[in-house]
Amino acid sequence: MFDHGQPSYADVNKDVLSTMLETGPRYWILLGTTMSIAVICFFMPWLYQLFVGIGAAGMNRNAVWGTYISNFIFWIGLSHSGTLLSAVLHITNSHWRKSIYRSAEAMTLFSLMTAALFIMVHVGRVWFVHWTFPIPNPMGLWPNFRSPLMFDVMAITTYLTASSIFIYMGSVPDFAAVRDASTGLRRRLYTIFSFGWRGTAREWHTLGWAYTFFAVFVIPLAVSVHSIVSWDFALSIVPGLHHTIFAPYFVCGAIYSGTAGIVTVMYCLRKFLGFEKYIGQVHLDNLGKLLIALSLIWSYINILELFSTWYGGTSFELEALKFRLTGFYAPLYWEMITFCAFVPLLIFFKKIRWSWNKMLVVSILINIGMLTERFIIVATSLPRKFLPDAFGFYLPSWVEISITIGSFAIFATLFLIFIKWVPAVSLYEVKETLKPLRRNT
Amino acid sequence: MAIMGTFAFEDDFLAAAENLVSSGFDNISLLSPIPLEEAQEVLGLGKSPVRRFSLAGAMIGGASGIAMCVATALVFILPTGGRAIIAIPPYLVITYEMTILFGVLFTLLGFHFVSGLPAWRDKPYTEAASIDRFVVVVEGTAGEQAAQAEAIIRDAGAEEIKHVEDGG
Repeated sequence: MFDHGQPSYADVNKDVLSTMLETGPRYWILLGTTMSIAVICFFMPWLYQLFVGIGAAGMNRNAVWGTYISNFIFWIGLSHSGTLLSAVLHITNSHWRKSIYRSAEAMTLFSLMTAALFIMVHVGRVWFVHWTFPIPNPMGLWPNFRSPLMFDVMAITTYLTASSIFIYMGSVPDFAAVRDASTGLRRRLYTIFSFGWRGTAREWHTLGWAYTFFAVFVIPLAVSVHSIVSWDFALSIVPGLHHTIFAPYFVCGAIYSGTAGIVTVMYCLRKFLGFEKYIGQVHLDNLGKLLIALSLIWSYINILELFSTWYGGTSFELEALKFRLTGFYAPLYWEMITFCAFVPLLIFFKKIRWSWNKMLVVSILINIGMLTERFIIVATSLPRKFLPDAFGFYLPSWVEISITIGSFAIFATLFLIFIKWVPAVSLYEVKETLKPLRRNT
Repeated sequence: MAIMGTFAFEDDFLAAAENLVSSGFDNISLLSPIPLEEAQEVLGLGKSPVRRFSLAGAMIGGASGIAMCVATALVFILPTGGRAIIAIPPYLVITYEMTILFGVLFTLLGFHFVSGLPAWRDKPYTEAASIDRFVVVVEGTAGEQAAQAEAIIRDAGAEEIKHVEDGG
């Protein structure tokens, strides 16, 4: 598992904690850049939209959903592999999970936060967003729990809560290690964060049981979240959206883009935090194999979607299909097919699968394809419902494009803050994979 | 008074723990940088009561999920297209989410309750226990008993033995 020889227990603490406790100028420059991009590209255009109204976005009477919703689905999707993969691999006791899961779970958390921001941007009057929660409000208006949008609110709130608890609880022993390695205010803070953890057998025993239960709860939750997101579309009768395959399609797509996202994040951790010792070839190889499997499932579902639409033969479904394959957004559709169905086949070659640089390119292309997929779902369906004389068109405005770019900067900013507050690699779980400290081995 | 023995090796640490338990010491804490199943077995830690919290949370969550949907529908009656005011199928989705939400929250509560955390009071501890050392702490001993515990820890191969205040 370790490409550069096995480290000692003390090395693990030193290597991982030094990335938190020692901060060079490169970090501050990077953080300043991402924060500036987030402010300029995300928050300022959002503020502009709040002043002039939702008309600043390219949405119109037919196209009531646009890039805000497609980006929301993308970010929710990206969140999927982290916690889900971590939970599944924990239950199945896969050792290769141990050095990558913490950052993967953080990816989940920050993707969810970014996704939630898009809902705030999309609703326009963000100050009324609390109306979606079942709490008393001056209007006496209560949410309609028959609506898939309310399913969404409940699912995402639950997922955000569960993912936060999952990553926090897994980090408690490591917070204790940070406490022990630091002084002053940081020590006091981490004493609070670690709950006074000492690493007693009883504490480990209780954490082990609780963590397993968290994992058991999180697995069906993660599957339900993207199923529910798909029902925002599929429970309508809009041509191009009303498909029973949508829930597995969305879940598969989510895990697919999330896994590709993990490859990208792992590349950055190796490159910028020097985690080559802990994130090695075995991780890349396993993630690569997972990507191949997911890409094949994703391709199969896409073919199935085309087939069932064609086989159904209804005029409005065929029209929606024709527009998707040959209409204005057809180049984007075929770009998506190229990036998500064909490019990942390259991972079959060991030369590609074992190269961090090549896998980085493949993982980024997959996520470009997945971002496009979500855009196509929204932009080629809602504006073109049933009657041709009511057909509309959707083109994102500069505000939407800018906010889309800014969202990546928000994610990067959150991740950069995370690596200074939480050990990006789990100390105790990496130690578990090392040779036991026994006199008689 | 507490006796704290620090070990460099897991097997020495486990041998000390076993000998202490078999000699009748019951106020023992076993500190390690990683979870050790053998240490948990020595202390006789079987199935954790956390699982009961998880089950209770899931049941309470499920019940409150459906109750919330029904109550909301009754407080604010919203007839749509002749559909039922209390529509069970969509409420099952909310119930499912609430089951999981409360399951997770109660598991968290169970963790704190069973592990006794947060515990910020001073207790015998050495920072090496979060790096690469295994520590046996025998609390509430004095006189002959303390000498016996110390002998067991020393014989097992402890690299350091300290007498510290009990804490708490």
